[in-house]
Amino acid sequence: MSAHGFKSVFMAASVAGAALGCYLISLNVASERAKLEDVEEKIVLAQRDIRVLQTEIGTRGRLAQLERWNARFIRLSAPSADQFVEGGFQLASMVRPDKRPAIEAPVVLAAAPASEALGRPVVTSDAADAPPPGVAKRGDAADMLRTASYARPEPLAEQKPSKPAAPVTAKPAKSATADPLAPLPSAAASAKGGASNPLSAKSKDRSTAR
Amino acid sequence: MNAPTPALVARPERLRLVGQRRQVLAVMQQRLMFAMIVYAGIIALIVLRILWLAAFGDHAGRKQGITTLVPERGDIVDRDGHPLARTIDAWTISLHPKKVIGSKLELARTLARLMPEKDAATYFALLRSDKPFFYLRRRAPPALVQAVNAIGEPGLAIDREPDRLYPQTSLAAHVVGFTDIDGRGNAGAERAFEDRLSDPARRGEPLVLSISSRVQQALENELNAAVTEFSAIGAAGIIMDIHTGEVLAMTSLPQLNPNVAGAGSPEARFNRATLGVYELGSTFKPFTVAMAMDAGVVKSFGQMYPCPDQLHAYGQTVNDTHPFGRACSVAEIMKESSNIGTAQIADKLGRERQKAFLKKMGFLDPIAIELKEKGRTLTPGNRWGPFETMTVGFGHAVAVTPLHLASGYATLFNGGIFRPATILKVDRNHPVAKGRRVFSEETSYKMRALLRLVVTEGTGKKADAPGYRVGGKTGTAEKLVGGHYATNVVVTSFAGVFPMDEPRYVMVVMLDEPKPTADTYGFRTAGWNVAPVVSKTISRIAPMLGVRPDKRREPNMAEVLPFVREDD
Repeated sequence: MSAHGFKSVFMAASVAGAALGCYLISLNVASERAKLEDVEEKIVLAQRDIRVLQTEIGTRGRLAQLERWNARFIRLSAPSADQFVEGGFQLASMVRPDKRPAIEAPVVLAAAPASEALGRPVVTSDAADAPPPGVAKRGDAADMLRTASYARPEPLAEQKPSKPAAPVTAKPAKSATADPLAPLPSAAASAKGGASNPLSAKSKDRSTAR
Repeated sequence: MNAPTPALVARPERLRLVGQRRQVLAVMQQRLMFAMIVYAGIIALIVLRILWLAAFGDHAGRKQGITTLVPERGDIVDRDGHPLARTIDAWTISLHPKKVIGSKLELARTLARLMPEKDAATYFALLRSDKPFFYLRRRAPPALVQAVNAIGEPGLAIDREPDRLYPQTSLAAHVVGFTDIDGRGNAGAERAFEDRLSDPARRGEPLVLSISSRVQQALENELNAAVTEFSAIGAAGIIMDIHTGEVLAMTSLPQLNPNVAGAGSPEARFNRATLGVYELGSTFKPFTVAMAMDAGVVKSFGQMYPCPDQLHAYGQTVNDTHPFGRACSVAEIMKESSNIGTAQIADKLGRERQKAFLKKMGFLDPIAIELKEKGRTLTPGNRWGPFETMTVGFGHAVAVTPLHLASGYATLFNGGIFRPATILKVDRNHPVAKGRRVFSEETSYKMRALLRLVVTEGTGKKADAPGYRVGGKTGTAEKLVGGHYATNVVVTSFAGVFPMDEPRYVMVVMLDEPKPTADTYGFRTAGWNVAPVVSKTISRIAPMLGVRPDKRREPNMAEVLPFVREDD
């Protein structure tokens, strides 16, 4: 017996080894597959649990229940037509502009005592004074319109003859004068507590918006 | 084999012996060979099988359970994907009397303590009975399951079974329907789409309805409040998209809880919106006017008709609740809901044309919708003479379902095209149904102003929702009780469309037998009880539906206002 005699044995052994190797690989694959399936099953079970929980939450928070809670405690109602705004512009127009920064106040405060006296007569300022030269051609008609309803201003008013330059047009005197005199009332107001400051700012805003 | 030697010239017996031996050997060899082949074959088979299994077979630990989540029955969801019906695994507790090993009396007492719906004696009787199986509780809460499990009795089985659950309870119950104990659809969409919902290939995908839960809830809530306030025996409400025919909300009261559908009364299970037929009265009048305009009988809303206090025609009498006693225009007829005026218009239109229009609008056939609960409309039939033409003109002697009415109004205001109603969401998988033209576009356009007039100046003032341009028509019809029209038993309805300058949605609301209250000053007409429901509901739903309120927009009222006398 020589090596020749063992040839078949070797053959058989190598075939068996190869088969075993193949089998081991396939076993490995199968076990991996099993793990994957375990994970998949866990996912499905989790999904099922999620479904059950979602259903439970949905049932507890069903619309009829929300409606009941709303009727008893929250008391929200449908918005009325006036609660809808056209767009950003309309929304912005509903909001008051912020107060001016306080840093300007001290500057104006210096003139505060003087404005106390001037506070009222502001309105009368564009009275039948001589119109400023810049607007002379329109001034005639405007003049006639105003003098009729007017009390003769105190000499006090004559302190600022050139102020009515702007308001010569037929605008109401108040809003027209507000513009050039803006610092003065605000100064007075800030001295009192600043209540009228936003108002004047607002009216100014409007006149510019037009 | 061996060399021939003379000694070998054997005796014949011996030769025979050798021959026999050879023969035996040959046979044995044959048999051995055969056995070997058989064994080899078997081994080869086994090896092949092992190899096959190793390569392709299942491994030992393979689970035969679920790998994908496909419910036992498809979900039903609304148009936004909120579930309306779901199948979940519920706990069931059952009893196998044969397997009980402990003391039966003790067990019966424990069960009676845990599940008090039966007493201990009943449980004891169950335990001693010969039957193999009882359900003790289906859809058991987890705490009870835990308690029963803690008893540790092998005769008590705890299982999970698929169970149909309606998370929104009574919401849209008549559209969704319900299933029987075996999980088969018994009503509504559950019944209409039974095949689709139980088909293993398709039930993984939810069935998407056209219902919008929030709109449905608003409608149900407001309608329910009205039913309570006016002590009505029932109600129906429908909101529909007029361009696609999608039903956004449909309800029928009294409410039904589909989770325990069996516990609901037959009255509650009855779908008034599609199965019940009612004479809907004056809400029919706009159809008559539109038909007459399309047919050229009415050429303008300013056309005048004599409107006496009573109209005698064909041996019968037509009455009005608010008689004009003068000539009145078509606009005024509609504004004050005059039977006398409408009867004359219908008379001019004639029976044949009226019938043809009603047929085209689908009023003579069962309602076109997927639901199986469809009512048969009632018409004068063979007795459809000239007087019946008049009464049909103002909505008497013809009984249709509220959904017919909604569908008709959709036809009237979407440009004149009839489309069947649908409860499935219209999208890529379900395109808009093919329509057929009934009214001309011009008629459809002109009717906007006419119905807006009814709400701004006429009988439907309380239906107005500021800013939403509601237009519509009230209807109060006396109910036929024992063959006679009872004066104090009425069905009130309102059919409205909004926003009227660019119609998008139709809403039909009906109250069955509302009673007068102090707030309505003793009236039981539609303007007092149904119209406010429309106003409240539209104020709630219109923003959800994307309709912007705008007090400055109106339909072209110049079409009608010149023809209305200001001071009556």
